[in-house]
Amino acid sequence: MAATACGSSGGSSGETGSDGADQVKVGVIPIVDVAPIYLGKDKGFFANRNIEVSMEAGQGGAAIVPGVVSGQFQFGFSNMTSLLIAQTKNVPIKTVSAGVASTGEQGKDFGAVMVKADSPIKTAADLAGKKVSVNTLKNIGDTTVRESVRKAGGDPKNITFVEIPFANMPAALQEGQVDASWVVEPALSAVKAAGGRLVASNYVDAAPDLTVAAYFTSAKLAGEDADLVKRFTEAINESLTYADAHPDEVRAVLGSYTKIDEKTRGELILPKWPVEINQASVETLAELGRQDGIFEGATPDVAKVLP
Amino acid sequence: MKGLYGLAGLLLLVEALPRLGLVDDGYLPPATRIAAALGDEVVTAGFWQAVGDTLTGWAIGLAIAVVAGVVIGVGIGAVPVLRAATASTVEFLRPIPSVALIPLAVLLYGTDLGSTLLLVVYAAFWQVLVQVLYGVADVDPIAEETARSFRLGAWARIRNVLWPTALPYVFTGVRLAASVALVLAVTAELVIGAPGLGKMIAVAQTSGAVPDMYALIAVTGLLGVAINLAARLFERRTLAWHQSVRGEVAS
Repeated sequence: MAATACGSSGGSSGETGSDGADQVKVGVIPIVDVAPIYLGKDKGFFANRNIEVSMEAGQGGAAIVPGVVSGQFQFGFSNMTSLLIAQTKNVPIKTVSAGVASTGEQGKDFGAVMVKADSPIKTAADLAGKKVSVNTLKNIGDTTVRESVRKAGGDPKNITFVEIPFANMPAALQEGQVDASWVVEPALSAVKAAGGRLVASNYVDAAPDLTVAAYFTSAKLAGEDADLVKRFTEAINESLTYADAHPDEVRAVLGSYTKIDEKTRGELILPKWPVEINQASVETLAELGRQDGIFEGATPDVAKVLP
Repeated sequence: MKGLYGLAGLLLLVEALPRLGLVDDGYLPPATRIAAALGDEVVTAGFWQAVGDTLTGWAIGLAIAVVAGVVIGVGIGAVPVLRAATASTVEFLRPIPSVALIPLAVLLYGTDLGSTLLLVVYAAFWQVLVQVLYGVADVDPIAEETARSFRLGAWARIRNVLWPTALPYVFTGVRLAASVALVLAVTAELVIGAPGLGKMIAVAQTSGAVPDMYALIAVTGLLGVAINLAARLFERRTLAWHQSVRGEVAS
Protein backbone atom coordinates (compact mmCIF):
# COMPACT_ATOMS: atom_id res chain seq x y z
CA MET A 1 0.00 0.00 0.00
CA ALA A 2 2.88 2.33 0.76
CA ALA A 3 3.96 2.04 -2.84
CA THR A 4 0.73 3.44 -4.21
CA ALA A 5 0.47 6.12 -1.56
CA CYS A 6 3.74 7.81 -2.48
CA GLY A 7 3.01 7.84 -6.17
CA SER A 8 1.58 11.29 -6.61
CA SER A 9 4.72 13.09 -5.52
CA GLY A 10 5.93 12.90 -9.10
CA GLY A 11 9.63 12.59 -8.38
CA SER A 12 11.56 10.98 -11.18
CA SER A 13 13.71 8.72 -9.05
CA GLY A 14 12.06 5.89 -7.17
CA GLU A 15 10.74 6.39 -3.69
CA THR A 16 12.35 4.46 -0.89
CA GLY A 17 10.08 2.11 1.03
CA SER A 18 10.05 1.50 4.77
CA ASP A 19 12.31 -1.52 4.33
CA GLY A 20 14.85 0.52 2.39
CA ALA A 21 14.04 -0.99 -1.03
CA ASP A 22 13.70 1.34 -4.03
CA GLN A 23 10.08 1.51 -5.07
CA VAL A 24 9.82 1.34 -8.80
CA LYS A 25 6.71 1.70 -10.91
CA VAL A 26 6.72 0.23 -14.40
CA GLY A 27 4.16 1.27 -17.01
CA VAL A 28 3.11 -1.81 -18.97
CA ILE A 29 0.30 -3.04 -21.19
CA PRO A 30 -1.39 -6.06 -19.59
CA ILE A 31 -0.63 -8.47 -22.45
CA VAL A 32 1.46 -11.59 -23.02
CA ASP A 33 4.61 -9.60 -23.89
CA VAL A 34 5.24 -8.42 -20.33
CA ALA A 35 4.85 -11.81 -18.64
CA PRO A 36 8.59 -11.89 -17.71
CA ILE A 37 8.36 -8.86 -15.42
CA TYR A 38 5.41 -10.37 -13.53
CA LEU A 39 7.25 -13.68 -13.34
CA GLY A 40 10.46 -11.95 -12.25
CA LYS A 41 8.62 -10.12 -9.50
CA ASP A 42 7.15 -13.41 -8.23
CA LYS A 43 10.57 -15.06 -8.36
CA GLY A 44 12.15 -12.28 -6.32
CA PHE A 45 14.57 -11.15 -9.06
CA PHE A 46 13.74 -7.52 -8.27
CA ALA A 47 13.59 -7.89 -4.49
CA ASN A 48 17.05 -9.54 -4.60
CA ARG A 49 18.36 -6.29 -6.04
CA ASN A 50 16.60 -4.16 -3.47
CA ILE A 51 13.86 -3.10 -5.87
CA GLU A 52 10.19 -3.22 -4.94
CA VAL A 53 8.57 -3.30 -8.38
CA SER A 54 4.91 -2.58 -9.13
CA MET A 55 3.24 -2.69 -12.51
CA GLU A 56 0.95 0.08 -13.69
CA ALA A 57 -1.10 -1.36 -16.51
CA GLY A 58 -2.98 0.82 -18.94
CA GLN A 59 -4.89 -0.05 -22.09
CA GLY A 60 -3.00 0.48 -25.31
CA GLY A 61 -0.07 2.05 -23.56
CA ALA A 62 -1.03 5.64 -24.40
CA ALA A 63 -0.02 6.62 -20.88
CA ILE A 64 3.33 4.88 -20.79
CA VAL A 65 5.74 7.25 -22.57
CA PRO A 66 4.31 10.45 -21.01
CA GLY A 67 4.13 8.65 -17.67
CA VAL A 68 7.83 7.77 -17.79
CA VAL A 69 8.90 11.19 -19.03
CA SER A 70 6.94 12.98 -16.31
CA GLY A 71 8.39 10.65 -13.68
CA GLN A 72 5.11 9.00 -12.70
CA PHE A 73 6.71 5.69 -13.69
CA GLN A 74 10.40 5.01 -13.39
CA PHE A 75 10.35 2.57 -16.30
CA GLY A 76 8.03 1.69 -19.13
CA PHE A 77 7.44 -0.96 -21.76
CA SER A 78 6.85 0.13 -25.33
CA ASN A 79 7.26 -1.11 -28.87
CA MET A 80 10.39 0.02 -30.72
CA THR A 81 8.57 2.08 -33.35
CA SER A 82 6.85 4.14 -30.63
CA LEU A 83 10.24 4.72 -29.00
CA LEU A 84 11.74 5.75 -32.33
CA ILE A 85 8.81 8.13 -32.91
CA ALA A 86 9.43 9.59 -29.45
CA GLN A 87 13.12 10.02 -30.35
CA THR A 88 12.32 11.96 -33.54
CA LYS A 89 10.22 14.27 -31.37
CA ASN A 90 13.17 14.70 -28.99
CA VAL A 91 11.36 13.05 -26.10
CA PRO A 92 14.16 12.29 -23.60
CA ILE A 93 14.01 8.50 -23.24
CA LYS A 94 16.52 5.68 -23.28
CA THR A 95 16.00 1.92 -23.50
CA VAL A 96 17.43 -0.07 -20.60
CA SER A 97 16.80 -3.64 -21.72
CA ALA A 98 15.15 -5.78 -24.34
CA GLY A 99 11.41 -6.29 -23.96
CA VAL A 100 10.07 -8.89 -26.34
CA ALA A 101 11.09 -10.33 -29.70
CA SER A 102 9.54 -12.14 -32.63
CA THR A 103 9.97 -15.91 -32.66
CA GLY A 104 11.47 -15.48 -36.11
CA GLU A 105 9.48 -18.43 -37.47
CA GLN A 106 7.16 -17.96 -40.42
CA GLY A 107 3.61 -18.91 -39.47
CA LYS A 108 4.58 -19.47 -35.85
CA ASP A 109 4.98 -15.95 -34.49
CA PHE A 110 2.88 -14.31 -31.77
CA GLY A 111 1.61 -11.72 -34.23
CA ALA A 112 0.26 -12.28 -37.74
CA VAL A 113 -1.93 -10.91 -40.49
CA MET A 114 -5.11 -12.96 -40.58
CA VAL A 115 -8.05 -13.24 -42.96
CA LYS A 116 -11.37 -15.11 -42.87
CA ALA A 117 -11.28 -18.72 -43.99
CA ASP A 118 -13.15 -17.99 -47.24
CA SER A 119 -11.20 -14.83 -48.09
CA PRO A 120 -9.86 -14.46 -51.63
CA ILE A 121 -6.62 -13.14 -50.09
CA LYS A 122 -4.08 -15.96 -50.34
CA THR A 123 -0.74 -14.24 -49.80
CA ALA A 124 0.48 -10.94 -48.45
CA ALA A 125 0.73 -9.64 -52.03
CA ASP A 126 -3.08 -9.86 -52.26
CA LEU A 127 -3.39 -7.31 -49.46
CA ALA A 128 -2.69 -4.54 -51.99
CA GLY A 129 -5.68 -2.22 -52.17
CA LYS A 130 -7.41 -3.93 -49.25
CA LYS A 131 -8.58 -2.75 -45.83
CA VAL A 132 -6.35 -3.97 -43.01
CA SER A 133 -6.84 -3.32 -39.31
CA VAL A 134 -3.98 -2.41 -36.95
CA ASN A 135 -4.22 -1.45 -33.29
CA THR A 136 -2.49 1.91 -33.81
CA LEU A 137 -2.08 3.78 -37.07
CA LYS A 138 1.41 4.90 -38.14
CA ASN A 139 3.15 2.47 -35.87
CA ILE A 140 4.87 -0.91 -35.84
CA GLY A 141 1.79 -2.70 -37.19
CA ASP A 142 1.32 -0.92 -40.48
CA THR A 143 5.03 -0.53 -41.22
CA THR A 144 5.73 -4.25 -40.76
CA VAL A 145 2.58 -5.28 -42.66
CA ARG A 146 3.73 -3.11 -45.59
CA GLU A 147 7.07 -4.94 -45.53
CA SER A 148 5.26 -8.29 -45.72
CA VAL A 149 3.41 -7.04 -48.78
CA ARG A 150 6.62 -5.77 -50.41
CA LYS A 151 8.43 -9.06 -49.70
CA ALA A 152 5.57 -11.01 -51.27
CA GLY A 153 5.87 -8.85 -54.38
CA GLY A 154 2.81 -6.69 -53.77
CA ASP A 155 2.36 -2.93 -53.70
CA PRO A 156 1.67 -1.66 -50.18
CA LYS A 157 0.79 1.87 -51.34
CA ASN A 158 -2.95 1.46 -51.60
CA ILE A 159 -3.62 -0.50 -48.44
CA THR A 160 -6.14 1.25 -46.23
CA PHE A 161 -5.19 0.81 -42.60
CA VAL A 162 -7.97 1.06 -40.06
CA GLU A 163 -7.43 1.52 -36.34
CA ILE A 164 -9.24 -1.10 -34.22
CA PRO A 165 -8.21 -2.38 -30.76
CA PHE A 166 -6.80 -5.93 -30.93
CA ALA A 167 -9.63 -7.19 -28.74
CA ASN A 168 -12.23 -6.07 -31.31
CA MET A 169 -10.42 -7.45 -34.33
CA PRO A 170 -11.81 -11.01 -34.29
CA ALA A 171 -15.32 -9.54 -34.52
CA ALA A 172 -14.34 -6.91 -37.10
CA LEU A 173 -12.81 -9.57 -39.33
CA GLN A 174 -15.78 -11.90 -38.89
CA GLU A 175 -18.27 -9.17 -39.73
CA GLY A 176 -16.31 -8.16 -42.82
CA GLN A 177 -15.55 -4.64 -41.62
CA VAL A 178 -11.97 -5.25 -42.74
CA ASP A 179 -10.42 -7.62 -45.27
CA ALA A 180 -7.53 -8.58 -43.01
CA SER A 181 -6.36 -7.94 -39.46
CA TRP A 182 -2.95 -7.70 -37.90
CA VAL A 183 -3.40 -9.37 -34.52
CA VAL A 184 -1.18 -10.47 -31.66
CA GLU A 185 -1.89 -13.05 -28.97
CA PRO A 186 -4.39 -13.72 -27.44
CA ALA A 187 -6.53 -12.17 -30.20
CA LEU A 188 -4.53 -14.24 -32.71
CA SER A 189 -5.72 -17.45 -31.04
CA ALA A 190 -9.29 -16.11 -31.06
CA VAL A 191 -9.14 -15.46 -34.81
CA LYS A 192 -7.68 -18.91 -35.41
CA ALA A 193 -10.39 -20.50 -33.27
CA ALA A 194 -13.00 -18.74 -35.43
CA GLY A 195 -11.46 -20.34 -38.51
CA GLY A 196 -9.19 -17.49 -39.57
CA ARG A 197 -6.29 -18.11 -41.94
CA LEU A 198 -2.77 -16.71 -41.66
CA VAL A 199 -1.44 -14.79 -44.67
CA ALA A 200 1.71 -13.20 -43.25
CA SER A 201 4.02 -13.20 -40.26
CA ASN A 202 4.75 -9.50 -40.48
CA TYR A 203 7.33 -9.34 -37.68
CA VAL A 204 9.24 -12.19 -39.32
CA ASP A 205 9.06 -10.50 -42.71
CA ALA A 206 10.27 -7.18 -41.31
CA ALA A 207 13.60 -8.42 -39.94
CA PRO A 208 15.21 -11.62 -38.65
CA ASP A 209 14.56 -11.98 -34.91
CA LEU A 210 12.94 -8.56 -34.70
CA THR A 211 13.12 -6.82 -31.35
CA VAL A 212 9.49 -5.76 -31.03
CA ALA A 213 9.58 -3.84 -27.77
CA ALA A 214 11.89 -2.73 -25.00
CA TYR A 215 11.90 -1.43 -21.45
CA PHE A 216 12.96 2.19 -21.22
CA THR A 217 13.43 5.02 -18.76
CA SER A 218 13.68 8.78 -18.88
CA ALA A 219 17.03 10.35 -19.72
CA LYS A 220 16.70 12.19 -16.42
CA LEU A 221 16.51 9.05 -14.30
CA ALA A 222 19.23 7.37 -16.38
CA GLY A 223 21.51 10.30 -15.54
CA GLU A 224 20.54 10.72 -11.90
CA ASP A 225 20.32 7.17 -10.67
CA ALA A 226 22.52 4.98 -12.84
CA ASP A 227 22.74 2.43 -10.06
CA LEU A 228 18.97 1.91 -9.96
CA VAL A 229 18.87 1.59 -13.74
CA LYS A 230 21.70 -0.95 -13.63
CA ARG A 231 19.95 -3.05 -10.97
CA PHE A 232 16.63 -2.86 -12.82
CA THR A 233 18.30 -3.94 -16.05
CA GLU A 234 19.93 -6.91 -14.30
CA ALA A 235 16.61 -7.92 -12.75
CA ILE A 236 14.69 -7.64 -16.00
CA ASN A 237 17.40 -9.55 -17.87
CA GLU A 238 17.20 -12.36 -15.35
CA SER A 239 13.41 -12.29 -15.75
CA LEU A 240 13.61 -12.44 -19.56
CA THR A 241 16.02 -15.37 -19.46
CA TYR A 242 13.89 -17.18 -16.92
CA ALA A 243 10.69 -16.61 -18.90
CA ASP A 244 12.30 -17.84 -22.11
CA ALA A 245 13.36 -21.05 -20.39
CA HIS A 246 10.08 -21.69 -18.54
CA PRO A 247 7.14 -21.38 -20.93
CA ASP A 248 4.83 -23.28 -18.58
CA GLU A 249 5.43 -20.75 -15.82
CA VAL A 250 4.81 -17.94 -18.30
CA ARG A 251 1.45 -19.48 -19.20
CA ALA A 252 0.64 -19.80 -15.51
CA VAL A 253 1.61 -16.22 -14.60
CA LEU A 254 -0.61 -14.91 -17.41
CA GLY A 255 -3.54 -16.01 -15.30
CA SER A 256 -2.48 -13.61 -12.55
CA TYR A 257 -2.67 -10.33 -14.47
CA THR A 258 -4.84 -11.08 -17.51
CA LYS A 259 -8.18 -12.79 -17.87
CA ILE A 260 -7.07 -15.03 -20.70
CA ASP A 261 -8.87 -18.34 -20.15
CA GLU A 262 -6.90 -21.43 -19.27
CA LYS A 263 -7.39 -23.17 -22.59
CA THR A 264 -6.11 -20.19 -24.58
CA ARG A 265 -3.21 -19.73 -22.16
CA GLY A 266 -2.15 -23.29 -22.85
CA GLU A 267 -2.32 -22.91 -26.61
CA LEU A 268 -1.19 -19.41 -27.51
CA ILE A 269 2.12 -18.82 -29.25
CA LEU A 270 4.62 -17.28 -26.85
CA PRO A 271 7.07 -14.66 -28.08
CA LYS A 272 10.83 -14.85 -27.52
CA TRP A 273 12.50 -13.02 -24.67
CA PRO A 274 16.18 -12.60 -25.57
CA VAL A 275 18.32 -10.40 -23.32
CA GLU A 276 19.95 -8.55 -26.19
CA ILE A 277 18.22 -5.88 -28.24
CA ASN A 278 18.75 -6.85 -31.88
CA GLN A 279 20.23 -3.58 -33.09
CA ALA A 280 20.15 -4.49 -36.78
CA SER A 281 16.40 -5.16 -36.53
CA VAL A 282 15.81 -1.80 -34.83
CA GLU A 283 17.69 -0.07 -37.64
CA THR A 284 15.51 -1.93 -40.13
CA LEU A 285 12.38 -0.75 -38.27
CA ALA A 286 13.70 2.81 -38.36
CA GLU A 287 14.36 2.55 -42.09
CA LEU A 288 10.96 0.98 -42.84
CA GLY A 289 9.24 3.64 -40.77
CA ARG A 290 11.13 6.36 -42.60
CA GLN A 291 10.04 4.90 -45.98
CA ASP A 292 6.44 4.71 -44.83
CA GLY A 293 6.45 8.26 -43.49
CA ILE A 294 5.80 7.23 -39.91
CA PHE A 295 8.36 9.69 -38.56
CA GLU A 296 6.85 12.59 -40.52
CA GLY A 297 9.99 13.27 -42.48
CA ALA A 298 12.45 12.87 -39.64
CA THR A 299 15.05 10.11 -39.39
CA PRO A 300 15.27 8.52 -35.94
CA ASP A 301 18.70 8.32 -34.35
CA VAL A 302 18.76 4.67 -33.27
CA ALA A 303 21.93 5.12 -31.20
CA LYS A 304 20.20 7.72 -29.05
CA VAL A 305 17.40 5.31 -28.17
CA LEU A 306 19.45 2.18 -27.52
CA PRO A 307 21.37 1.81 -24.24
CA MET B 1 -41.54 -1.72 -9.73
CA LYS B 2 -42.63 -1.20 -13.31
CA GLY B 3 -39.03 -0.31 -14.14
CA LEU B 4 -38.15 -3.95 -13.55
CA TYR B 5 -40.18 -5.04 -16.58
CA GLY B 6 -37.82 -3.14 -18.82
CA LEU B 7 -34.79 -4.76 -17.22
CA ALA B 8 -36.33 -8.22 -17.48
CA GLY B 9 -37.07 -7.55 -21.13
CA LEU B 10 -33.47 -6.51 -21.75
CA LEU B 11 -32.15 -9.65 -20.06
CA LEU B 12 -34.48 -11.81 -22.15
CA LEU B 13 -33.30 -10.05 -25.31
CA VAL B 14 -29.62 -10.54 -24.43
CA GLU B 15 -30.37 -14.20 -23.69
CA ALA B 16 -32.32 -14.76 -26.90
CA LEU B 17 -30.20 -12.91 -29.49
CA PRO B 18 -27.13 -15.18 -29.25
CA ARG B 19 -29.21 -18.32 -28.63
CA LEU B 20 -31.20 -17.70 -31.80
CA GLY B 21 -27.96 -17.15 -33.68
CA LEU B 22 -28.78 -13.52 -34.52
CA VAL B 23 -25.45 -12.42 -33.06
CA ASP B 24 -22.29 -14.49 -32.60
CA ASP B 25 -22.19 -15.69 -28.99
CA GLY B 26 -18.43 -15.19 -29.06
CA TYR B 27 -19.04 -11.44 -29.08
CA LEU B 28 -22.32 -11.23 -27.15
CA PRO B 29 -22.77 -14.21 -24.86
CA PRO B 30 -26.26 -15.04 -23.51
CA ALA B 31 -27.29 -13.28 -20.28
CA THR B 32 -27.02 -16.51 -18.29
CA ARG B 33 -23.37 -16.93 -19.24
CA ILE B 34 -22.67 -13.29 -18.32
CA ALA B 35 -24.43 -13.91 -15.00
CA ALA B 36 -22.23 -16.96 -14.40
CA ALA B 37 -19.12 -14.87 -15.08
CA LEU B 38 -20.44 -12.29 -12.65
CA GLY B 39 -20.94 -15.01 -10.08
CA ASP B 40 -17.28 -16.01 -10.45
CA GLU B 41 -16.21 -12.38 -10.09
CA VAL B 42 -18.11 -11.43 -6.95
CA VAL B 43 -16.38 -14.07 -4.85
CA THR B 44 -12.93 -12.63 -5.56
CA ALA B 45 -11.28 -10.00 -3.37
CA GLY B 46 -9.93 -8.23 -6.47
CA PHE B 47 -13.44 -7.49 -7.66
CA TRP B 48 -14.47 -5.77 -4.43
CA GLN B 49 -11.19 -3.93 -4.33
CA ALA B 50 -11.98 -2.61 -7.82
CA VAL B 51 -15.53 -1.64 -6.82
CA GLY B 52 -14.06 0.15 -3.81
CA ASP B 53 -11.49 1.97 -5.95
CA THR B 54 -14.13 3.09 -8.43
CA LEU B 55 -16.48 4.28 -5.68
CA THR B 56 -13.62 6.07 -3.91
CA GLY B 57 -12.73 7.99 -7.07
CA TRP B 58 -16.40 8.71 -7.66
CA ALA B 59 -17.13 9.91 -4.12
CA ILE B 60 -14.05 12.07 -3.65
CA GLY B 61 -14.41 13.57 -7.12
CA LEU B 62 -18.11 14.24 -6.65
CA ALA B 63 -17.55 15.82 -3.23
CA ILE B 64 -14.90 18.19 -4.60
CA ALA B 65 -17.10 19.05 -7.60
CA VAL B 66 -20.17 19.72 -5.43
CA VAL B 67 -18.38 21.89 -2.89
CA ALA B 68 -16.56 23.84 -5.60
CA GLY B 69 -19.71 24.12 -7.74
CA VAL B 70 -21.86 25.40 -4.88
CA VAL B 71 -19.31 27.84 -3.48
CA ILE B 72 -18.33 29.26 -6.85
CA GLY B 73 -21.91 29.14 -8.14
CA VAL B 74 -23.31 31.12 -5.21
CA GLY B 75 -20.33 33.49 -5.35
CA ILE B 76 -20.72 34.24 -9.03
CA GLY B 77 -24.51 34.06 -9.07
CA ALA B 78 -25.07 36.48 -6.23
CA VAL B 79 -22.99 39.21 -7.85
CA PRO B 80 -24.50 40.28 -11.20
CA VAL B 81 -21.23 41.80 -12.45
CA LEU B 82 -19.34 38.57 -11.85
CA ARG B 83 -22.08 36.55 -13.44
CA ALA B 84 -21.99 38.63 -16.63
CA ALA B 85 -18.20 38.56 -16.70
CA THR B 86 -17.91 34.77 -16.37
CA ALA B 87 -20.86 33.67 -18.51
CA SER B 88 -18.88 33.26 -21.73
CA THR B 89 -15.96 31.56 -19.94
CA VAL B 90 -18.34 29.02 -18.40
CA GLU B 91 -19.98 28.36 -21.75
CA PHE B 92 -16.53 27.95 -23.32
CA LEU B 93 -15.14 25.51 -20.74
CA ARG B 94 -18.29 23.51 -20.05
CA PRO B 95 -18.55 21.59 -23.33
CA ILE B 96 -14.88 20.51 -23.33
CA PRO B 97 -15.07 16.75 -22.87
CA SER B 98 -13.27 15.57 -19.77
CA VAL B 99 -11.57 12.76 -21.69
CA ALA B 100 -9.75 15.36 -23.77
CA LEU B 101 -7.80 16.08 -20.58
CA ILE B 102 -6.43 12.53 -20.37
CA PRO B 103 -2.90 13.44 -21.58
CA LEU B 104 -2.79 16.22 -18.98
CA ALA B 105 -4.04 13.88 -16.27
CA VAL B 106 -1.38 11.31 -17.13
CA LEU B 107 1.41 13.88 -17.09
CA LEU B 108 0.30 15.16 -13.70
CA TYR B 109 -0.71 11.98 -11.93
CA GLY B 110 0.26 8.92 -14.00
CA THR B 111 -2.20 6.12 -13.38
CA ASP B 112 -2.97 7.22 -9.83
CA LEU B 113 -6.29 8.18 -8.31
CA GLY B 114 -5.37 11.80 -9.15
CA SER B 115 -5.93 11.12 -12.86
CA THR B 116 -9.41 9.79 -12.18
CA LEU B 117 -10.19 12.74 -9.92
CA LEU B 118 -9.11 15.31 -12.50
CA LEU B 119 -11.50 13.85 -15.06
CA VAL B 120 -14.35 13.31 -12.60
CA VAL B 121 -14.12 16.75 -11.02
CA TYR B 122 -13.91 18.54 -14.37
CA ALA B 123 -17.00 16.80 -15.72
CA ALA B 124 -19.10 16.93 -12.55
CA PHE B 125 -18.25 20.50 -11.54
CA TRP B 126 -20.07 22.11 -14.48
CA GLN B 127 -23.23 20.10 -13.78
CA VAL B 128 -23.40 21.56 -10.29
CA LEU B 129 -22.23 25.05 -11.19
CA VAL B 130 -24.78 25.60 -13.93
CA GLN B 131 -27.66 24.37 -11.79
CA VAL B 132 -26.57 26.60 -8.91
CA LEU B 133 -26.42 29.57 -11.26
CA TYR B 134 -29.97 28.85 -12.44
CA GLY B 135 -31.07 28.42 -8.84
CA VAL B 136 -29.59 31.73 -7.77
CA ALA B 137 -31.18 33.48 -10.76
CA ASP B 138 -34.55 32.06 -9.71
CA VAL B 139 -34.66 34.02 -6.44
CA ASP B 140 -37.89 35.99 -6.20
CA PRO B 141 -36.94 39.69 -6.52
CA ILE B 142 -39.73 40.66 -4.14
CA ALA B 143 -38.42 38.32 -1.45
CA GLU B 144 -34.94 39.73 -2.05
CA GLU B 145 -36.26 43.31 -1.77
CA THR B 146 -38.20 42.44 1.36
CA ALA B 147 -35.07 40.97 2.93
CA ARG B 148 -33.16 44.13 2.04
CA SER B 149 -35.81 46.41 3.51
CA PHE B 150 -35.63 44.39 6.72
CA ARG B 151 -31.91 45.27 6.59
CA LEU B 152 -30.75 41.68 6.53
CA GLY B 153 -26.99 41.40 5.91
CA ALA B 154 -25.50 39.64 2.88
CA TRP B 155 -24.92 36.40 4.78
CA ALA B 156 -28.46 36.36 6.20
CA ARG B 157 -29.91 37.02 2.74
CA ILE B 158 -27.91 34.10 1.28
CA ARG B 159 -29.01 31.84 4.14
CA ASN B 160 -32.69 32.79 4.28
CA VAL B 161 -33.59 33.81 0.76
CA LEU B 162 -31.07 32.63 -1.80
CA TRP B 163 -30.20 29.22 -0.40
CA PRO B 164 -33.77 27.88 0.07
CA THR B 165 -34.60 28.91 -3.48
CA ALA B 166 -31.43 27.47 -4.97
CA LEU B 167 -31.49 24.22 -3.00
CA PRO B 168 -33.72 22.17 -5.34
CA TYR B 169 -31.49 23.24 -8.24
CA VAL B 170 -28.42 22.24 -6.25
CA PHE B 171 -29.88 18.79 -5.70
CA THR B 172 -30.68 18.41 -9.39
CA GLY B 173 -27.07 19.40 -10.10
CA VAL B 174 -25.76 16.88 -7.59
CA ARG B 175 -27.94 14.12 -9.02
CA LEU B 176 -26.73 14.83 -12.56
CA ALA B 177 -23.14 15.17 -11.35
CA ALA B 178 -23.33 11.86 -9.48
CA SER B 179 -24.10 9.94 -12.69
CA VAL B 180 -21.58 11.86 -14.77
CA ALA B 181 -18.91 11.32 -12.12
CA LEU B 182 -19.42 7.55 -12.27
CA VAL B 183 -19.17 7.52 -16.07
CA LEU B 184 -15.94 9.51 -15.94
CA ALA B 185 -14.45 7.46 -13.10
CA VAL B 186 -14.93 4.27 -15.11
CA THR B 187 -13.71 5.94 -18.31
CA ALA B 188 -10.51 7.14 -16.61
CA GLU B 189 -9.83 3.65 -15.35
CA LEU B 190 -10.63 2.13 -18.73
CA VAL B 191 -8.43 4.42 -20.78
CA ILE B 192 -5.63 5.44 -18.42
CA GLY B 193 -5.48 2.28 -16.35
CA ALA B 194 -6.18 3.87 -12.97
CA PRO B 195 -7.25 1.10 -10.57
CA GLY B 196 -10.95 0.20 -10.51
CA LEU B 197 -13.72 -1.50 -12.47
CA GLY B 198 -12.77 0.27 -15.70
CA LYS B 199 -9.28 -1.20 -15.58
CA MET B 200 -10.76 -4.66 -15.00
CA ILE B 201 -12.97 -4.15 -18.05
CA ALA B 202 -9.91 -3.16 -20.09
CA VAL B 203 -7.98 -6.23 -18.95
CA ALA B 204 -10.96 -8.48 -19.75
CA GLN B 205 -11.15 -6.88 -23.21
CA THR B 206 -7.48 -7.37 -24.06
CA SER B 207 -7.68 -10.92 -22.72
CA GLY B 208 -10.65 -11.80 -24.89
CA ALA B 209 -12.65 -12.68 -21.75
CA VAL B 210 -15.97 -11.60 -23.26
CA PRO B 211 -18.49 -12.83 -20.62
CA ASP B 212 -16.31 -11.26 -17.89
CA MET B 213 -16.20 -7.99 -19.77
CA TYR B 214 -20.01 -7.82 -20.04
CA ALA B 215 -20.38 -8.87 -16.41
CA LEU B 216 -18.19 -5.97 -15.30
CA ILE B 217 -19.99 -3.57 -17.62
CA ALA B 218 -23.27 -4.72 -16.06
CA VAL B 219 -21.82 -3.96 -12.63
CA THR B 220 -21.06 -0.37 -13.64
CA GLY B 221 -24.64 -0.08 -14.88
CA LEU B 222 -25.98 -1.40 -11.59
CA LEU B 223 -23.77 1.04 -9.69
CA GLY B 224 -25.24 3.84 -11.78
CA VAL B 225 -28.78 2.75 -10.93
CA ALA B 226 -27.91 2.49 -7.23
CA ILE B 227 -26.30 5.93 -7.21
CA ASN B 228 -29.28 7.51 -8.93
CA LEU B 229 -31.75 5.86 -6.54
CA ALA B 230 -29.72 6.95 -3.54
CA ALA B 231 -29.48 10.52 -4.84
CA ARG B 232 -33.25 10.67 -5.40
CA LEU B 233 -33.97 9.29 -1.96
CA PHE B 234 -31.61 11.77 -0.35
CA GLU B 235 -33.17 14.62 -2.32
CA ARG B 236 -36.66 13.62 -1.26
CA ARG B 237 -35.72 13.33 2.41
CA THR B 238 -33.86 16.62 2.65
CA LEU B 239 -36.27 18.59 0.50
CA ALA B 240 -39.43 17.15 2.07
CA TRP B 241 -40.52 20.66 3.02
CA HIS B 242 -40.12 22.03 -0.49
CA GLN B 243 -42.90 22.66 -3.00
CA SER B 244 -41.18 20.64 -5.75
CA VAL B 245 -41.00 17.48 -3.64
CA ARG B 246 -44.37 17.88 -1.95
CA GLY B 247 -45.92 18.19 -5.39
CA GLU B 248 -44.11 15.07 -6.57
CA VAL B 249 -45.26 13.01 -3.59
CA ALA B 250 -48.88 14.13 -3.92
CA SER B 251 -49.20 13.23 -7.59
